[in-house]
Amino acid sequence: MSRDELSGAQLEELAALDRILAREPVGEQHLELAALVDSVRAGAPRMDPAFAQRLDARLAGLRSAQRGYARLRAARPRVRRLAFASGGLVAAAVAFTIVISSGVLGGGAPRPVSPLERQLRPLPALATPRTSGPASATNHAGAAVGGAPATPAPSSATAGFGALAPGRLVHRGSALTLATAPATMQSVANQIVTATEHAAGVVQSSNVNVAGSASFASFSLQVPSGHLAPLIATLSTLASVRSLNQGTQDITDGYDQERARLADNVAAHAALLKKLATAPTLALQASIQQQLNRLEARIAAEHREIDRLLTAGRTATLQVTVVAGPRAKSAVAGPFSGAFNKALHALEAILAIALVVFAILLPFALTALALWWGAASVRQRARERAIRTA
Amino acid sequence: MTVMAAVPTSGPGAGEQFEQLYRSSAADVYAYVASLLRDRSAAEDVTALAFERAFRRRALFDIRRGSARAWLFAIARNAALDELRRRRRTGALLHEVADPASELDDLDPDLAERRLLVRDGLASLEPRDRELILLKFVGRLSNAELARVLHCSESNAGTRLHRAIERLREVCGVTR
Repeated sequence: MSRDELSGAQLEELAALDRILAREPVGEQHLELAALVDSVRAGAPRMDPAFAQRLDARLAGLRSAQRGYARLRAARPRVRRLAFASGGLVAAAVAFTIVISSGVLGGGAPRPVSPLERQLRPLPALATPRTSGPASATNHAGAAVGGAPATPAPSSATAGFGALAPGRLVHRGSALTLATAPATMQSVANQIVTATEHAAGVVQSSNVNVAGSASFASFSLQVPSGHLAPLIATLSTLASVRSLNQGTQDITDGYDQERARLADNVAAHAALLKKLATAPTLALQASIQQQLNRLEARIAAEHREIDRLLTAGRTATLQVTVVAGPRAKSAVAGPFSGAFNKALHALEAILAIALVVFAILLPFALTALALWWGAASVRQRARERAIRTA
Repeated sequence: MTVMAAVPTSGPGAGEQFEQLYRSSAADVYAYVASLLRDRSAAEDVTALAFERAFRRRALFDIRRGSARAWLFAIARNAALDELRRRRRTGALLHEVADPASELDDLDPDLAERRLLVRDGLASLEPRDRELILLKFVGRLSNAELARVLHCSESNAGTRLHRAIERLREVCGVTR
């Protein structure tokens, strides 16, 4: 039997005690206990009537004060509520400042930029030295599976992706892979064509296949270089961005070499014409004429090459592939997509603020709770000591 | 004792409930506190303080954690123990509770003798045993409520109570 276990007789006596205290009848064997209870209760100290009156008055005063306080509380906002509200506002302000400074809302110091966002932002102008050979650059954002919300690029073409470095001729090529639900495949394809036309581009080729989960669409687009970045930003809002691959090739040196060769050949052509005019024999004239013909053919080819390079530098190619797959929640196509995305961003900011507020307040709350609990434990132990030594 | 008027609180009827609790418990709370402190003046202060605290905290009372009477006795006990601590620190003088011997004069001599015996026996008990007897006999708390007030298990409260009753019988020379 453990220390706290009572025998059946003892339990019965305790049950009888409860009956005695409830003024219920008990058996003869418990009459002695009933007499003991009666003696203890009868011998207990009794309130002095004067004190009873004072106690009545004291509690009546409390009641009156409570009524006055209730009236005050009804008439004006509670001080405690104001204190809580002020504290909440301060915490929210601190959180807002932190969120702003971290760049979540787009202000303050720059926040870390994801690779995909970096791709969709306007690239800085190329600064390849004039004397260097042909340069190329390729950027990949293939790890963006799942479709992070795309950040729209600036609408200004001159400040966008296709801005040319002064004196440089750069060819740009990009490949964009989007994912959308099979049901919206055709709609997205139509919007791609529309967006391309708005960007003054042309659809060189397209292939749209709507067949359930195997649906896909591919486009080969050509747009003015300055319109490439805005077009990519626009297309990125139509569906989830799975990957973005961007490349540039500096063709300035090739262009300069062609122009130099052209100039040389034109000069050579002029010299041959002079030589032809003074040729003494028919055989020599025929030989010069053959050289002139070959030279003119080269000059014509060089003109075509120079035109091709100029076209390549002024336009960019964009390969767009749309596959069936889950869409990012922010990539909603349709007339309300912009508002929806803005609402999502606002919600994201609010949640960020709430999280920061929670993170700020939690340590204080836990510390206060621990202090309160510790103080209560110490106080209770001291009370128990007091009764032992009373 | 005059009847305290209804006190408006957060809930309808809560004021009447507090008044009912006050009227039904004030004498018992005073008896418990006075027996614990053995000081009439301090007992009055502590009793008043306990009811003030209960009045102010009445919105925090949770019926799921025990009866209102047990809640009130817990508040009174804490106030009384705080008073004992204060007294120990300051060495305050006692103002003994008045001896109600005159009340016994009108009783049957055997009954008066028995009550005197029990009162003296109770006073000679260990403070913790005396407190248990008072909480049970005067406060009329159930064993579960005793456990909550004393911060122990219900079975431990029952065991301690039974032992305290046995000791009271022993010091009073009562035979069963």
